[in-house]
Amino acid sequence: MSMASVTVEAQQLTKRFGTRTAVDELSFTARQGDVVGLLGPNGAGKTTTIRLLTTVLAPTSGEFSVAGIPSARPNEIRRRVGVLPESAGYPGHQTGRDYLRYHARLFGLARSDAERVAERLLTQVGLGERASSRISTYSRGMRQRLGIARALVNDPTVVFLDEPTLGLDPAGQRQVLALVRETAQSRDATVILSTHTLPEVEEVCGTVLILEKGRSLVSGTVSDVTRAVAVQTSGQLRVPIDQVDRARRALASVTGVALEVADGRPDVLTISLTEQPGGRGDHRGDTGMNAALRAVLSADVPVLSFEVEGVRLSDAFLTMTGEGVG
Amino acid sequence: MTTSTSVERSERVDRVDAPGWRIVAGQECRDLWVSGRGPLLIFGFSVLLSGVTYLAATNLDINFLEQREAVDLALQMAVAVGVLLTLVVSADGISGERERGTLESLLLTPVSRRAIVIGKLVAALSVWVVAFVVTVPYLWVLGRGVSIVVQALLLGLLVGTLVAVGLAALGLLISAVSTSNKVSLAVSLFLLLALFAPTQLPSGLPQGWFFDVLARLNPVTAALHYISAVLVNGHAWTRDLSYLVSPVLTAILAGGALVALAPRTVRLHGGVSGE
Repeated sequence: MSMASVTVEAQQLTKRFGTRTAVDELSFTARQGDVVGLLGPNGAGKTTTIRLLTTVLAPTSGEFSVAGIPSARPNEIRRRVGVLPESAGYPGHQTGRDYLRYHARLFGLARSDAERVAERLLTQVGLGERASSRISTYSRGMRQRLGIARALVNDPTVVFLDEPTLGLDPAGQRQVLALVRETAQSRDATVILSTHTLPEVEEVCGTVLILEKGRSLVSGTVSDVTRAVAVQTSGQLRVPIDQVDRARRALASVTGVALEVADGRPDVLTISLTEQPGGRGDHRGDTGMNAALRAVLSADVPVLSFEVEGVRLSDAFLTMTGEGVG
Repeated sequence: MTTSTSVERSERVDRVDAPGWRIVAGQECRDLWVSGRGPLLIFGFSVLLSGVTYLAATNLDINFLEQREAVDLALQMAVAVGVLLTLVVSADGISGERERGTLESLLLTPVSRRAIVIGKLVAALSVWVVAFVVTVPYLWVLGRGVSIVVQALLLGLLVGTLVAVGLAALGLLISAVSTSNKVSLAVSLFLLLALFAPTQLPSGLPQGWFFDVLARLNPVTAALHYISAVLVNGHAWTRDLSYLVSPVLTAILAGGALVALAPRTVRLHGGVSGE
């Protein structure tokens, strides 16, 4: 259990738009240095949650505090948070330097300090050489990095990033994720990362909060959530092609598993559990897969790869939200 | 632990050397004048004013217009078009930022929503100020020899500023509650046309108490009537002050409503219902 201080605390947070409830009695906490993945299908309430916690929207009911400041003091909260909003717009006629300098000034920095902070952040996000270029000439990835720099102008305690890698190519995604990691580590800030891309959550987030229809389905560390929810059903074992028969014989002695050769790949054996686990948190499947692997290794068959399906965060997410059904 | 961390951070950034509205106004003015449409709008304004001045000067040469009337005509045109440009800029103030996706970043700063609208109001008024400065040489050319140039300039500055403040505040209010930028611009232009329409009637408003009240209620007709009364009819500045009640009230009420309602109207989504 981390001993770091609590930086975000929401209690029974609710937001209604007319008759529609966007966020429904949401409660959670995040600590200093945490990178929290905020997950959920479209319309789950992720963006509304971020807008509530950053005081852009007022909650219908419930309370929250950010950096120890209660929700009744929104101006002070905004001084402590940095936000990259979903689909943020940028004034194309301004240069990256002008844009950051302006926002630094809005956060109360003196002109000279704003200049210095803008230069430092532009260099930090890899835009130092394009500081004097108009934003309209920036690529989408560059704009996202500029947005992250903007979120850091006030040296925030909590950083909210809403879909920071949306629409970026793989190289752009890697750059942004590296920035997210660096922000949490070097600044010791809490990062709340809303995204649809689950592999990136597994890559950078320590904890996750899964939302559906505005309610919290589950929260905890990535491994806890995965263990509690995910259900193993099958695995793929790859061995040298001349060892396939030997592996088959070894696996035949393991009870509760069925074997077949993967389509078009004679060196890959698909291992299926014939006894299905009882539900969430039932780890009998784990035993079955482990027993299968142990049997192959005991037979001195070199294992080239072994991938168990159903133990990734994406599997847990799909199971929780029901999107994987069918 | 949380508190101490927060305080350390705030000490590093809290070095305010200007109020939020001034920072917003400064950036809005830069956006408008350095890289925006301000110069283009003023170029159009000066072309129009050149045409009006030329017509007034040639009519003056053939004695269709007295010199005072020529100055009055040019000043009324300057006030009318200058205020129109101010309204166009202010009508884009909130709804335009909303559509360009830049409003949320502004709302995420510690600058209050009241300070944001005041900054935008000041930037919109800069259009009127520049339009007025451009008007000065035209009035000087038309008013040479009858010593009314200074009077015309003071009148234009006072009355035009009153009308510009009121209509710019109305434009920003409309922009804040409009669901789109197009709606905001359309409503603002309709409002302006409705206010200016009576001044374009060939023989002015019909006589009678009802139309007199209408003229006094409409801040634009009242302001232009006051200018004409002083410049053309030679009335003392104090004689027709009742005509300035409407422009003054519009400026105070619209400006007050803009600032007072800003926390509720300046938000991510337009419309008049709650968010």
